[in-house]
Amino acid sequence: MTKADDRPASLSLQSVSKHFGPVKAVDGIDLDIGQDEFFSLLGPSGSGKTTMLRIIAGLERPTAGRVLVRGQDVTAMPPYKRRIGMVFQNFLLFPHKTVAENIVFPLRMQNVGRAERGERLVWAMKLLRLDGLAERYPNELSGGQQQRVSLARGLISRPALLLLDEPLANLDRELRAEMEVEIRRYQKELNIPFVYVTHNQEEALTMSDRIAVMRNGVFEQIGPRNDVYRKPATAFVAAFVGQSNQLTGRAEMVGPDSLTMTWRGHRLHLPHPDGIAAGDEVRFFIKYEDVEVTPERPAQGNHLGGRLRDIIFKGQTANYIVSLADGSEIIASASSRDQKVAIGAAVSVTWPATAGMCFKS
Amino acid sequence: MLLLAGPGVLFILVTLLLPLLAIFMFSFWRTASYELYPDWNLDNYHVLFTEAAYRTFLLRSALSAVVTSLLCLLYAWPVAYFIARHGGRYRLLLVLLLAAPFFTGVILRIAALQGIFGPGGLINMALGIFGMPPIAALMYTPLAATIGHVYLFVPFMVTAIYLSLVNFNFDLLETAKINGAGPWRAFVEVTWPLNWIGTAIGLALVFIPCLASAVTPRFLGGPSATSFGMSLGQQFGETGTWALGSAMGVVLFAFSLLVLAVMGFTVNLKRSGFTGMGAR
Ligand SMILES: Nc1ncnc2c1ncn2[C@@H]1O[C@H](COP(=O)(O)OP(=O)(O)OP(=O)(O)O)[C@@H](O)[C@H]1O
Ligand SMILES: [Mg+2]
Repeated sequence: MTKADDRPASLSLQSVSKHFGPVKAVDGIDLDIGQDEFFSLLGPSGSGKTTMLRIIAGLERPTAGRVLVRGQDVTAMPPYKRRIGMVFQNFLLFPHKTVAENIVFPLRMQNVGRAERGERLVWAMKLLRLDGLAERYPNELSGGQQQRVSLARGLISRPALLLLDEPLANLDRELRAEMEVEIRRYQKELNIPFVYVTHNQEEALTMSDRIAVMRNGVFEQIGPRNDVYRKPATAFVAAFVGQSNQLTGRAEMVGPDSLTMTWRGHRLHLPHPDGIAAGDEVRFFIKYEDVEVTPERPAQGNHLGGRLRDIIFKGQTANYIVSLADGSEIIASASSRDQKVAIGAAVSVTWPATAGMCFKS
Repeated sequence: MLLLAGPGVLFILVTLLLPLLAIFMFSFWRTASYELYPDWNLDNYHVLFTEAAYRTFLLRSALSAVVTSLLCLLYAWPVAYFIARHGGRYRLLLVLLLAAPFFTGVILRIAALQGIFGPGGLINMALGIFGMPPIAALMYTPLAATIGHVYLFVPFMVTAIYLSLVNFNFDLLETAKINGAGPWRAFVEVTWPLNWIGTAIGLALVFIPCLASAVTPRFLGGPSATSFGMSLGQQFGETGTWALGSAMGVVLFAFSLLVLAVMGFTVNLKRSGFTGMGAR
């Protein structure tokens, strides 16, 4: 988690808390972000993501803890001295200024000369593909264009750090997918750390190097995106990231690295994390794509017999919904092309004994 | 459509345009022994532009209106800003409170001021108790009249600016600050231009009635505060020179229009953020 190189981290939070009366919006967060990182804060509504960004930006004074930017303590520094860029969900462009005036606003505030302002404006307009829009007013732009202007304004002064608070939430799906790729490209090209807030796990997974999953003001897990997806640290993360089947049962035989759980009368062989003893109630999560639907019973691994109730077409993949005898359902995700089974057919759902994650509940 | 618009148009014609037209017409007539005679001439305007007294009255009224407007502006902005920003759920109540004196009528409010400033008024009485001389500057002087104007008209200004500020997206201020603007710079770059229309309306709402004001200077201003409006009132009352009074009305009207036009030029609708306000 800590960076190996000896440069100070671009951003450090040291036991930062923010309490609003009884609400602990942010509760003792430690965090280091490196110079080249795309970092995402992922969490449900009300988990404290915006509050954390506002603390970093200086719009909110933390109740406790310190904020350091490039090694300098900025905890008491007002936002206009921090040289941090920020992009908002609702864009917040100045409605009385043209696109060009909006974009160069940070440079004017820093008293950058006219010639350099012009140069950087050209650079930013090109980077964000805004050619020809310089003289328009914000209300004469599409949502995507407004968001790009707001990104250009955030980036033009080459800030120490760019904060983005759900910048794509107001855009339609196609535009969002396009902008996800673009934003990550800017980050890699400019080599400025981005802190990206979202409650959309796909967005976080697409763009980030590292993800922190937040809940009730604390990090449930922080790590590379693969780890967060593949090795969730808590049941909350397992349920929140990716799409999983959740099976709750009782642990029976507990071995060194596997356990047996009874779930609705079925015996399942599952991987065994530390801390679960025989007799404990266990929540088992298995991602849709780790489950397979086959016409006949497999030779090994877990398997449950059922009937294919429906196929939900998702484009490249499809979700196969299998109803078990007792009415519960297991969902598997696979390529939508080679559909081996027909709706209504008797099938088996199977997965290897090493797949999925167990948590004591 | 036309049928629906009919009553509205008629109403405007009767209530607004007809009196104006009548006054415009009378201003070219002549009055003799309290009667109007329709022999068309420019004498009234000739008198207005040549006799020094009328010029003094007009300049005095204009100066008083400018000073009053500026004082109201200085007072109203912080008050309106505070209410809009920090008033919370008491915002409406606070604004209504500011307007409370309106429920009592002009004369009563001016009489109240007289009771405070006058020779036997609260201030000078209190000073007298401590053996100090009364403040002459507050007794029947132009200063007293100006204070009276500010007191009378400032609720208009506060209301106009307040209404503008409650529609202002204060998040834009945070955006300005993150982008490097200190509090003062953020005000100049964002808050002021985006609330200029409301402010200009407030200025007009104070300036124009103040320019025409007659009652306040009469009760508070003393002999050296005779205003254009007071003189105008006299033409229709004591002296019965209606035609001259009408000409004064026309001048007043034209002057007000001029001021409105100048203010209108400062408003660039695109630059006012008027249409961009939807993006909240
Ligand atoms: N100014 C404030 N006063 C009181 N409580 C606040 C304030 N700002 C935030 N909170 C509370 O702090 C908690 C975290 O809010 P925050 O806005 O950071 O959540 P979030 O993760 O950004 O949620 P969302 O995804 O809905 O934007 C919430 O419970 C919220 O009600
Ligand atoms: Mg938020």
